[in-house]
Amino acid sequence: MLRLRILLPLLLLAGCSKGPGADLQYIKQARSLGAEWALVNEQANKGQVTKTYAASMHQWLRDNLQTTQSSLTQPDSRYGSEIHALLAQPDDAAPDELRSHVEVLKHIEDGLESA
Amino acid sequence: MNPLELTLGIMTAVGGFVDISELVFAAKAGSMFGYALIWVFFVATVGIMVFGEMSGRVAAVARQPVFNLMRHRLGLKLGLVTLFASLVSTLITCAAEIGGMGLILNYLTGLPYLVLAALSGLVLMASMWILPFKWIERTYGLLGLLMIVFAVSLVAIDPPWDRLAGGFVPQVPHGLSTKELLAFAYFTVAILSAVMFPYESYFYSSGGIEEQWGPKDLLTNRVTTTIGFGLGSLLAVSILASSAQLFGPANVGPEIPGSAALEAAIPFGPTGLLLALLGMLFAVAGAAVETCMANAYAIAQFFGWEWGRHKKPWEAPRFTIAWIALFLLALLIVMTGIEVMSLVEYAVLFSIVVLPLTYLPLMLLAGDKGFMREYANKWLAKGLGWLFFAVVTAAAIAAIPLYLLTSGGQG
Amino acid sequence: MKPTDKLKLVSQLIDLPLLDKDRRWCGVVDDVEFDGGPGKPMRVKALLVGPGAYRGRAPGWMFWLVTKVAGSRISRVPFNQIDTIGSAVHLRCPAEKLGLHAVENRVRSWIPRKGAL
Repeated sequence: MLRLRILLPLLLLAGCSKGPGADLQYIKQARSLGAEWALVNEQANKGQVTKTYAASMHQWLRDNLQTTQSSLTQPDSRYGSEIHALLAQPDDAAPDELRSHVEVLKHIEDGLESA
Repeated sequence: MNPLELTLGIMTAVGGFVDISELVFAAKAGSMFGYALIWVFFVATVGIMVFGEMSGRVAAVARQPVFNLMRHRLGLKLGLVTLFASLVSTLITCAAEIGGMGLILNYLTGLPYLVLAALSGLVLMASMWILPFKWIERTYGLLGLLMIVFAVSLVAIDPPWDRLAGGFVPQVPHGLSTKELLAFAYFTVAILSAVMFPYESYFYSSGGIEEQWGPKDLLTNRVTTTIGFGLGSLLAVSILASSAQLFGPANVGPEIPGSAALEAAIPFGPTGLLLALLGMLFAVAGAAVETCMANAYAIAQFFGWEWGRHKKPWEAPRFTIAWIALFLLALLIVMTGIEVMSLVEYAVLFSIVVLPLTYLPLMLLAGDKGFMREYANKWLAKGLGWLFFAVVTAAAIAAIPLYLLTSGGQG
Repeated sequence: MKPTDKLKLVSQLIDLPLLDKDRRWCGVVDDVEFDGGPGKPMRVKALLVGPGAYRGRAPGWMFWLVTKVAGSRISRVPFNQIDTIGSAVHLRCPAEKLGLHAVENRVRSWIPRKGAL
C-alpha cells in the first residue's frame, strides 16, 4: 500500500513534465514546511518548546503553505492534493500524520529532480 | 592595550557577528548539503578578517573612515555610484534585520508581527538617540553572546565530529546533479556575501574613528578582527552543523527563520529555546543598528558632514537626520509586508554585487604609503587582499545568474 | 604637506574631506578654482565646496538629481586659508568664516537637545 502510494504519484507525473517542473520549488517549500510543522509538534508534545512559540510557528507555517499552494501552476495535481491535505490538518496534528504527507512530497520531488 | 577593553571588544565582535542572513543561510546550507559548506564560512571569515583589519588600520593611521577616502580614490562619478549601490543594499539588509526582530518577538510573545517590527524600529531609534557609540556597540554585541547557546547545543547533540571537521576542507560533494551543483554554487556565493557584507567595513572603520583609534590601537584592531570574527563565525558554523544533524535527515529546509531556534530546544527544552530566541533577537538588533549607522556614516562622510555618535545628536545634525530617515525608510519597507526571507535573499544578492566596489578602494587606500606611512599593506595583507578581491568579483558576476537558475537556491 | 608645496590635483586634493580649525568636518573639495592664464604660472586660487561644484564633473542627469536633493550652493575656500594637506585638508579658520557650516547650523535648529547621554 505504501509503495503504491509512492509509485502512483510518480506514474501520474510521468506525462506532466512542464507543470510539475515549474512547481518543483513550491513542492520543496511545502515539503520543508510540512517537515518543520512535524518537528515543532514533536517537540511541543515533549514539552521542549513554549506554547507561544508553537502557536506562532503554526501560524507562519500555515501562511507559507497557503502561499505555496496558491503559487502552484497545477493545484489539482497529486502534489497539490498533498499540500491541500497538509493545510486541512489541525495545528496540533500528530507528527507522523504530517510526515506521511511530507514523505509523499519528498518522493515526488526526488522523482522530478532525477527526471 | 587595556586587557578589559580588548576583551570587551572581542566579545562584542563575537556577539555581533551573526545576523539574520547568516542565520538563514547557515541553517539552509546545513540541511541541504550537510557539513560540505563549512569551508565557505571559514574562507569568508578570513576574507572579512582581511578587509576588517584593513579598514580598522586605515581608521587608526589615516584617522579617516573608509567612505571619506573612498570618494577620493574613486572620484565623484564612481563614488556616487558606489554610494548609491551600497545605500540600496544596506537599506534592504537593515529592513531584513528589523523584520527579523519583529518575527523573533512574535515567536516570543505571540503579538502581531508588524506591530512588533514597528515597535522594534522605535526602540532601536531611541537607543541610538540616547546611548553614545560605545554603549550602542557594546549593549547589542554583548547581549548577542546569548547565541553561544547554539554552540553549546551542537556539543550536546554530539554530531559526528570527524565529518564536521572534514567540512573545513574545501570540497564539492560527490554525486550532485547539475541543479544541485548550481544550488551549491549559489549557497557559496550567498554565504560569502552574508559574512562579508559591505556595511561591516563601513561600520567597523567608522567605529574606530568614533573610539578615536590611533596607531597604538593597531594590535587591538588585529586581535579584534581575527579572534573576534573567528569566534563569531564558529557560532554560524554551529548553526550549520546542528542543521546538518537535525534538519537534513528530517527533510526540514528550513523555510521559517524561527525553526533555527529548535536547534537549542531539542537538547535543552524551553530554556534553550528562549536563550536561542533572545540571542537571535539581540544579534539581529545589533545588525539593524549597524546597517542603519553604516548608511548614515556613508552619506555623511561622502558629503563631508559632521558625523558620529561620539557626538550628541544635535552636534552632528545632518548625520542625525540621515540615520533617522534611513531607519524610517527601512521600517517602511518592512511595513509593506514583504517576507523577511525575501528581504534576506535580496540583501545578499545586492550586497555581493557591491562588494568589489567596496573592497577595491579600501585595498588601494590601505596600501597607499602616502596615507598609511610605514603601516601600509605588507605582502600578506596585499596578497590576501587581492586574492579575496578576485573571489568577491567572481562571486559578484555569478550571483544574479545563479539566483535565477536556482530560484533563489531552491533548485 | 603645506599648500605651498607642489600638488597633484587629482590624487592629492580633489575629493579630500575638509576639517576646520576646530577639527570639525565641513565638506569635501568638490572642485578647484585657478588663477593665471596663458603664458603665466597657474596656481590654485580657491577650493570649491558644495553640490553646485559638481557641474562639469558629473553627467547632466546626475548633477540635476544631486541639486534637486542637496541644492546648488558653492562655498569658496581661498587657498590662503589652508593650513596643511594630508588625508584631509586642514583649514586655518572656523567653518563659519567661509560659510561652510551654514546648512549644518540651519539643520541643528530642528534637533531637540534632550535625552542623549
